[in-house]
Amino acid sequence: MSKHKINEIDRNIYDIKNKDEYDFKIEKGLTREIIEEISKQKNDPVWMRKFRIKALEVYNKLELPTWGPDISELNMNEIATYVKPKTKLSNSWEDVPEDIKNTFDKLGIPEAEKKSLAGVGAQYDSEVVYHSMKEDLIKQGVIYTDMETAVTEYPDLVKEHFMKCVPVHDHKFVALHGAVWSGGSFVYVPKGVKVDIPLQSYFRLNSPESGQFEHTLIIVDEGASLHFIEGCSAPKYNKVNLHAGCVELYVKDNAYLRYSTIENWSKNMLNLNTKKAIVGKNAQVDWVTGSFGSKISMLYPMSVLNGEGAKTEFTGISFAGMGQNLDNGFKVIHNAEHTSSVINAKSISKGGGKCTYRSLVRINENAKNSKASVSCESLMLDDISVSDTIPVNDIRTDDVEFSHEAKIGKISDKTIFYLMSRGLSEEDAKAMIVRGFAYPTSKELPVEYAVEMNNLIDLELEGAIG
Amino acid sequence: MEKIKLNETPVRTSRNFNINNIKLENIKIPQEIGKFENTKITGQNSKINIQENKNDCNLTYGIGEVLVNQIKENSNKDMKIIIDSKTNKELKIEFNLDEKNINLLENIKIVANENTKSTIILKYTSKDNIEGYHNGIIKVLAKEDSEINIMIINLLNEKTSNFISIENVAEKQSKIKYTIIDFGGKHSITNYYSNLEGHQSENKISTIYLGKNTQTFDMNYICELMGQSANIDIDVQGALKNSSKKHFKGTIDFKKGCKRAKGNENESCMLLSDTAKSLALPMLLCSEEDVEGNHSSSAGKIGEKELFYITSRGFTIKEAMKLMVRAKFNKILETIKNEEIKSEIVNEISKRLD
Repeated sequence: MSKHKINEIDRNIYDIKNKDEYDFKIEKGLTREIIEEISKQKNDPVWMRKFRIKALEVYNKLELPTWGPDISELNMNEIATYVKPKTKLSNSWEDVPEDIKNTFDKLGIPEAEKKSLAGVGAQYDSEVVYHSMKEDLIKQGVIYTDMETAVTEYPDLVKEHFMKCVPVHDHKFVALHGAVWSGGSFVYVPKGVKVDIPLQSYFRLNSPESGQFEHTLIIVDEGASLHFIEGCSAPKYNKVNLHAGCVELYVKDNAYLRYSTIENWSKNMLNLNTKKAIVGKNAQVDWVTGSFGSKISMLYPMSVLNGEGAKTEFTGISFAGMGQNLDNGFKVIHNAEHTSSVINAKSISKGGGKCTYRSLVRINENAKNSKASVSCESLMLDDISVSDTIPVNDIRTDDVEFSHEAKIGKISDKTIFYLMSRGLSEEDAKAMIVRGFAYPTSKELPVEYAVEMNNLIDLELEGAIG
Repeated sequence: MEKIKLNETPVRTSRNFNINNIKLENIKIPQEIGKFENTKITGQNSKINIQENKNDCNLTYGIGEVLVNQIKENSNKDMKIIIDSKTNKELKIEFNLDEKNINLLENIKIVANENTKSTIILKYTSKDNIEGYHNGIIKVLAKEDSEINIMIINLLNEKTSNFISIENVAEKQSKIKYTIIDFGGKHSITNYYSNLEGHQSENKISTIYLGKNTQTFDMNYICELMGQSANIDIDVQGALKNSSKKHFKGTIDFKKGCKRAKGNENESCMLLSDTAKSLALPMLLCSEEDVEGNHSSSAGKIGEKELFYITSRGFTIKEAMKLMVRAKFNKILETIKNEEIKSEIVNEISKRLD
């Protein structure tokens, strides 16, 4: 069967570039003076200023990872870590400057807010420019605000939880995040409150040679529930951009949180993000992730099942095209009895792209009667791509049920033949198979985002197979 | 007494996962090696000929530089086994460590010539009371259309250090089959590398390990598929008692050009105690589209229902456990043609589970 040469994909709406206008842009590099200036610009309280300086010290001590994709092209002296857009936080789209509003319009955020979301946060470069939530949730005591507001208005809650789930010593880019973080969302769902309609935060990086370091802190209190959606994109520039965000999720006893992500960073982005959830007794956190963008991605969300009967599910797909190296996966630590985890990871590589599934399942000595099941499938769409599976399974007690399976291969000729015999062209048959392969992830997303994911798959497949 | 880092994986992952290599502390690497004379060879004839093997211990991977160099400089058993038999002849070599032969550093090269068939059995035992040391290299070249079965039986005592580096090259349409019985050693560290460069070459590895007390097993199997329609099949079955632990690192690497190649890897660990530990890294690396790769890994204790069923038939818990472990190993045990060896292994399983 013949193959086309793969062309650069027209990422249309995602590649819209606005003029690089800002209120303030910090000089490139990473020094104590720069960190202090960011802290000053953000009016940090003293404890946060000290925290940033300490994180910088940790950053300087830690080494770059000795594994995974080569990130030697990252030069922090060429990255501006703070870009303050030329607008202030608003709760009305009308107050957002025209060019920024147009960008979010084209990404469909205000429309989605009207139709299917209970609240929206929109970040542009380093600051959140829009935040709002439905009135009835405010009345029930739900807090959904930008992280800076949370630091000043809910200092006790923030101090108790900020970078406690993901300590700055975890790895070098978490320490970097601790030093330069800016923007992001804070959510608190009080005990017993069920937020039936999702909240969404969208992160847009417009400025070239800069980084985005948003901090998302979500606390779902006992018996409460929430679906949180995170979207991200950026236009493509010739030089490297950096995303080193941090997501901390606290899912208290009997609570439920679904965290969905559609990641579509531009293909000059290094996405070195960190996400972690601490899950209480009989609580559950579900992760749904579609990873399409970035030049290099190193992203391994993690669930720590600390409470008896805690559960987690991970459903994720990565799609690596030309020039992309997506090193994604999942980590779970079973730390209490009767905990369970289910992992379904898929990846598609094409056009010379590389997908790696990297994971850890650890069942500790105290996690008797726990269950873990891992399924991992990789699809190769041509013979110039690469797909690796690197899972670590660490079982430290006997009273467990653990299973892991993985498959790797191409689209079956028999299946293509079957579909073609039913009247489909070869290209349509392959596209249908790829969409079917991605279906377990897309079906877990709200319908609008499943459509967006399918559109992204179609975009990625354009000219890729045949 | 030294601390050494061995068995590096071909691809690294996070250091926090503790699997990129194994660090052994308080290892006694003997400086004075001495002679090794307690070897028993049966089945040698004109079609399976043993010659001296010098200066051929360069390895693509190997267990670690320090130990490979030790063999280069100080090996005390060098053998080059040349196979010319067209029917399946069996050669058995037994290495018995005792007070006078406490260190074994063997360097074995096996050349299976074209269109030959053979079985080579390498058995390692040691007297109960000695603190022995075994460090070996086994290199195999399977030439076109040859078939070679190799059995490695490690029945060393729990005071002995056991290190082994294996390297295979499989030419066109050759078949290499390994059966590895890994029971002995204070720590038993195996590095296994296969290069399936020949079209339609095959490599099957069946391993049984059984750990007790504080034994540590570290297996690093690396299989590179280069030839078209090459086939690798790894099956590792094990059981761990007491505070024993096992690290299994299995890499199937589909190199570009190995069209229609297949690779399967199955690793399963039965945990017989709540202090036993199983760490596994079954890797699939793929740079070729037209391949099929699968791996599966599982761990858990003996099924309570099965245990109840067996004990309800009048067996004690210990007997039931033995039956279950034996049943788990049976698929591999049944492939052993030599009844005497099979019976010895079955008895050893029973003894080690007492």
